[in-house]
Amino acid sequence: MAVSTADHAAVADPGVALAAARARRAAGRVLVTLARSVAIFVPVFLVATFLTFALRALSGLSPASIQLGESATPDAVARIEHQWGLDRPFLAQYWSWFTDILHGQLGASWSNGTNIAELISNGLAISLSVVTLALIIGVVFGFGLGTLAAVRRTTWIDRAITGFLTVFSVMPPFVVGIVLVTVFAVGLGWLPAAGYVPASVGTWPWFTHILLPALALSLDPMADVARQLRSGLIASYQENYVTGAIVRGLSPRRIFFRHVLRNGVGPALSVLGWRFPTLIGGSVVTEWIFGLQGFGRFANDSAQAGDVPAVQGVLVVSIVLVVTFNLIVNIVLGRVTPASQRGV
Amino acid sequence: MTRTRSNATVTATVPAARPADPPAAHSPAVDVPAVDPPAVGSGDPPAAQAAVLAVRDVRIRDDVNDREIVHGVSFELRPGRAVGIVGESGSGKTLTCRAILGILPAHFAVAGGSIEIAGRDIARLTTPQWTDLRGSTISAVFQDPASYLNPSLKVGVQIAEVIQVKSGLRRRDARRRALELLTAVHLRDPELVYDQYTYELSGGMLQRVLIATAIAADPQVLIADEATTALDVTVQAEILDLLADLRERRGLALVVVSHDLAVVAQVCDEVLVMRAGEVVEHGATADVLYHPRHEYTRLLIAEHEQYGLDRYLADTDTDTGAGGGGEQRKELDGVR
Ligand SMILES: Nc1ncnc2c1ncn2[C@@H]1O[C@H](COP(=O)(O)OP(=O)(O)O)[C@@H](O)[C@H]1O
Ligand SMILES: [Mg+2]
Repeated sequence: MAVSTADHAAVADPGVALAAARARRAAGRVLVTLARSVAIFVPVFLVATFLTFALRALSGLSPASIQLGESATPDAVARIEHQWGLDRPFLAQYWSWFTDILHGQLGASWSNGTNIAELISNGLAISLSVVTLALIIGVVFGFGLGTLAAVRRTTWIDRAITGFLTVFSVMPPFVVGIVLVTVFAVGLGWLPAAGYVPASVGTWPWFTHILLPALALSLDPMADVARQLRSGLIASYQENYVTGAIVRGLSPRRIFFRHVLRNGVGPALSVLGWRFPTLIGGSVVTEWIFGLQGFGRFANDSAQAGDVPAVQGVLVVSIVLVVTFNLIVNIVLGRVTPASQRGV
Repeated sequence: MTRTRSNATVTATVPAARPADPPAAHSPAVDVPAVDPPAVGSGDPPAAQAAVLAVRDVRIRDDVNDREIVHGVSFELRPGRAVGIVGESGSGKTLTCRAILGILPAHFAVAGGSIEIAGRDIARLTTPQWTDLRGSTISAVFQDPASYLNPSLKVGVQIAEVIQVKSGLRRRDARRRALELLTAVHLRDPELVYDQYTYELSGGMLQRVLIATAIAADPQVLIADEATTALDVTVQAEILDLLADLRERRGLALVVVSHDLAVVAQVCDEVLVMRAGEVVEHGATADVLYHPRHEYTRLLIAEHEQYGLDRYLADTDTDTGAGGGGEQRKELDGVR
């Protein structure tokens, strides 16, 4: 109703009022997307954190076995568990853990008592650097290749691109990583073979250290984006509104960017939404090859050590990352194709 | 949103207010739409008026199975005139239109004859020249108007886009022109319609919007291929009325294509009857209707008598038919 009131005001005073009404409506759309996402996010978060927390009870792991080894006396075990507050009722433990999370506190590691939030943010800085760069490379080249294949469909260019993409997507990132290290680091000596330098030290060293792992990780999302975009664009080109635009005398260029791309980009964007978390998770091997102490390595090491609070922290952070990234994708999708958002 | 939508839908079903015209007097003896006797042939406009569209013995071939689908269509269209093409489904009407617009489907080609738009042979046009010509000289509307508009863009923006690109107007001016066009196609509350998406509009409103996009760059020729086919009778009559109105006010020349003889007869001076890719009859509308020479034309007319064309005519006349038809007849009288 607020919308139509704005409209009537606009009729009375065109120009300014109308522009304001339209801006308000656009902002409203983003807010609706946000509200809907939060409505989904909150219950998911509650259930997921509860399951995550139940992990310790289910696994039967205890800090005592990490700190004292297998031969600990029951007394010593009880003492340690009391120190960690594990003898309190389950729900009380859950509640204090949950409120800590809301304050950004993920507790202390069972292995060495260090702050988990700090450990994770160190690892995440590395992983996010690599994954973000991988996504940028994947999106840029994926869009380029997908578009080229769609525009030149059924020609040899299309067939060549499609062929390359198939190779890209079946090649495991660790193989690509090893090849890249062999060629560009060991062979040509252009880039460092391993290690990480924070961006605070220098942008260029930071970039050179993450470039090779990012390249290794980028091929899969690149292939995905390109293939989704190709089929989305080809389908879009067959729609009547393209004929309509031609008949109205719009140029092929304008038809592509304003009409075809807008309607064909949806699947490629959605694929990015669920690509991101698998990239973060799947980067363990790549991090290992390139000697990076990233989020994936941390998750892996924690699980191996049976460090339950650390694993719980990893899971919580993963959930937040996945939801946030999907939210961003949804907002972008909503801006590009409003119709898709309204279930049309 | 619900309120605004229902509000707007009313526009499509209530005939636009127009100056009252005396109901057209029908010759009581015949049951076909009222168009006065021969306009073409005897009463042609002065020869100085060059044809804006000339189709000469156009043949269209399907390259895949090497079959000729359309076997020679010819007609000339002068500014402000209207030619109709009727024929059963599959007779080649749409292919003929697409050939004229240079958008034949893949593996179809013009195999013979020539097409001239505003004196230019389309066989020699380059892609940029086509882009230039379409929209500003020739344009088209089709059946299922929703599908010919981009679902992700507001309809008003799509009209303004054509104006911006073809007439070089600035954003603000283009918007104002688009609103004027929405009024010109008899849409009530253009400000509201401007900001709506295709799925928010009814079929009749969408066809008006599609017509607005088609005439946004002020073309000389508009091809309407089954533009009223999926619409119910009242809305169909309103759209035909609109086409007649545009023709009269803007001197827009029309090619009206339909499988329905009544539709074509209501708007056109001249009719081509097609069957299986062949033009079986071609002449002034009244001539073809009152003195059909070909058996197939007689069949088309007989079908109408059988399915109550009179009742349909009575309906459309009291609703809207009088407006456009009446004006048009006056104009013809003037010419003669
Ligand atoms: N895209 C197409 N692919 C294959 N055949 C087609 C296509 N369009 C039309 N045809 C064929 O061409 C003939 C004429 O079609 P069309 O011009 O659409 O007829 P109309 O518009 O009179 O109904 C039909 O027999 C149809 O089978
Ligand atoms: Mg057809």
